[in-house]
Amino acid sequence: MASTDTQLSEWRNQALKLESEINKVVVGQATPVRLITTAIFARGHVLLEGDVGVGKTTLLRAFTRGIGGGYERVEGTIDLMPNDLVYHTYLGEDGRPHVDAGPLLREGENLAVFFFNEINRARPQVHSLLLRVMAERTLSAFNKEHHFPHMLVFADRNQVEKEETFEIPSAARDRFMMEIPIAVPNDVEIMENLIFDTRYHNADRLVENVEQDVLHFDKLNTIAVALQDHVQASPTLRKYALELWLATKDPSKYGVRIEGVDINRLVLAGASPRGMSMMLRAARVNAWLNGRDAVLPTDIHAVFHETVAHRLVFSPVYEMRRTEIARELLSGIVNTISAP
Amino acid sequence: MKKILFAAITLLLLTGAAVEDLAVLDPRAVSLKTVEPPRDVGYTVGDILSRTVIIEVKHPYELLPTSLPIAGNQKKRQNRDQGIEVREVTVEKSAGVNTTTYTLHLSYQVFTNKIVARPAALPPEFIKFGGKGENFEVRVPSWNFRISPLAVYGSVVIEKDMSTFRGPLLLDRSKHEDIRNALLGVLAISVLGLIYILGTSNWLPRMGRPFAQTCRDLRKLGNDDEGIRAAVSRVHQAFNATAGHGVFEATSFLLRKPGFEPVAGDIERFFKLSRTVFFEPGAPHGIEGDVMTWLRQFTRRCRDCERGLK
Repeated sequence: MASTDTQLSEWRNQALKLESEINKVVVGQATPVRLITTAIFARGHVLLEGDVGVGKTTLLRAFTRGIGGGYERVEGTIDLMPNDLVYHTYLGEDGRPHVDAGPLLREGENLAVFFFNEINRARPQVHSLLLRVMAERTLSAFNKEHHFPHMLVFADRNQVEKEETFEIPSAARDRFMMEIPIAVPNDVEIMENLIFDTRYHNADRLVENVEQDVLHFDKLNTIAVALQDHVQASPTLRKYALELWLATKDPSKYGVRIEGVDINRLVLAGASPRGMSMMLRAARVNAWLNGRDAVLPTDIHAVFHETVAHRLVFSPVYEMRRTEIARELLSGIVNTISAP
Repeated sequence: MKKILFAAITLLLLTGAAVEDLAVLDPRAVSLKTVEPPRDVGYTVGDILSRTVIIEVKHPYELLPTSLPIAGNQKKRQNRDQGIEVREVTVEKSAGVNTTTYTLHLSYQVFTNKIVARPAALPPEFIKFGGKGENFEVRVPSWNFRISPLAVYGSVVIEKDMSTFRGPLLLDRSKHEDIRNALLGVLAISVLGLIYILGTSNWLPRMGRPFAQTCRDLRKLGNDDEGIRAAVSRVHQAFNATAGHGVFEATSFLLRKPGFEPVAGDIERFFKLSRTVFFEPGAPHGIEGDVMTWLRQFTRRCRDCERGLK
């Protein structure tokens, strides 16, 4: 028990060091950095959402460098097909066709981060393949079952642009532990640095400033299990989490109101059991990162929006205002339900 | 002429002899009581005054009806009408064992007036009784009163009338005062009702605020673990009610409710205590001594902040 405590303590120091390394190169994004760190230790996939050029890719590349292990990246395009992720064929110098492993298979079991850029530009067939890989961390190809036990999928999408994009189905969204909004920092000094400090002009060189392999990617699964077992959730907290879940299904019953929205018609489907389970996993990690052995309501609040918002299914009439309404709804739920 | 004078003198002598013939009634045979009008001032022309005369005489004496005053007559004085006319005369008779009681209801009407107040009197009446072959006479005494003028003589200048006997001339406001008192009563009842509603049966509005209620609730809770859990939960409810939403930590609460700044340290300690009680049993909360006592003191301080007393 004592050794587990010590081990967890050492890992926490490493996790905080990773955060610190990332914050050195990606400025003004402390909250997303904390959330991604949380997702890494909760072993959950992450979807980043934000405008163009806000540093989503740089952020993920910085994390990838800090985690270590195999890293693969694919760009979502309208003509991308599922098999493009698995293999690619070409004519070799010898004039004969060759088949090479695609991005998913190239690193084998060492694949630590699979970065899917602009995921909403890929077709639903690609989403479907990714869905399985994300859920089961396996893939059948070349008459063989391939396993990716350490893989985390980091994806990003641009919410503003809708042309030539495919909305990610709710089943695929549900596979992501978190959807994290990335916004331009409000701090004027940081904004000025981003423009004038030449350090930020070259993303490749910037990412190289992150210390490599701060974490050991192949030990993350073990430490994640130990962490989840170690951090406790009291009966009061369980009841509170349950109330939150029920409120996402029927917010009107809990007296949640949103101006200009018929709350009775808003939610078609609340958070899924998988979603709530992921939320509590993330909350446990947040408690651990804050040096606690038990989850508090504030740990849930720290991850509630990012782990739940993208799982809610709204009436089509409200889908266009999804981001804004989801934020108001979840804030309303947190404000309405008390613990104890 | 001499004959006529002689006849007149003879008649007068005879009449005087006849008067003298009327024996004075034995005082033991008759008793007389009068009931006079309730006031003896303030009468003016047209007013009616009533008096009742009760005469009790022994048998066999009886009242002679012809001796009763006649309605329409008025007594003269110095050959001038006094202006007090007999208006109505009624007699009630009741017989006793040895006596007969006559109740005379006499009413007079005033037919005179002056520009200044002057004395007047209901005239004396002479009631005769007969019996045992004799006639007797009973005198009903006169009754003095004052006749008032209908209006004040001459022009009246109130400013020059500095009589200390006359109070300030005020309008009669008793009716308005009654209405005012009734409205004040309604207002008082309404205010009491409003206080009751606002106080939600807590007597005074301020007593119904979240921490005031919590303060009272904590007095009823026991000192055991269950009581402490209930107390912490109750204080949480007070924080939620004060903020208008769920409160989970001190900083955001103090930002919204700076009035609680004086107890900021205690609020921090409370949330640590809540963490220990509900979420992490082993976590230190930094409260020394009896937790329930601390909670009661803490809610009292919060109540004072709530009332703006700190």
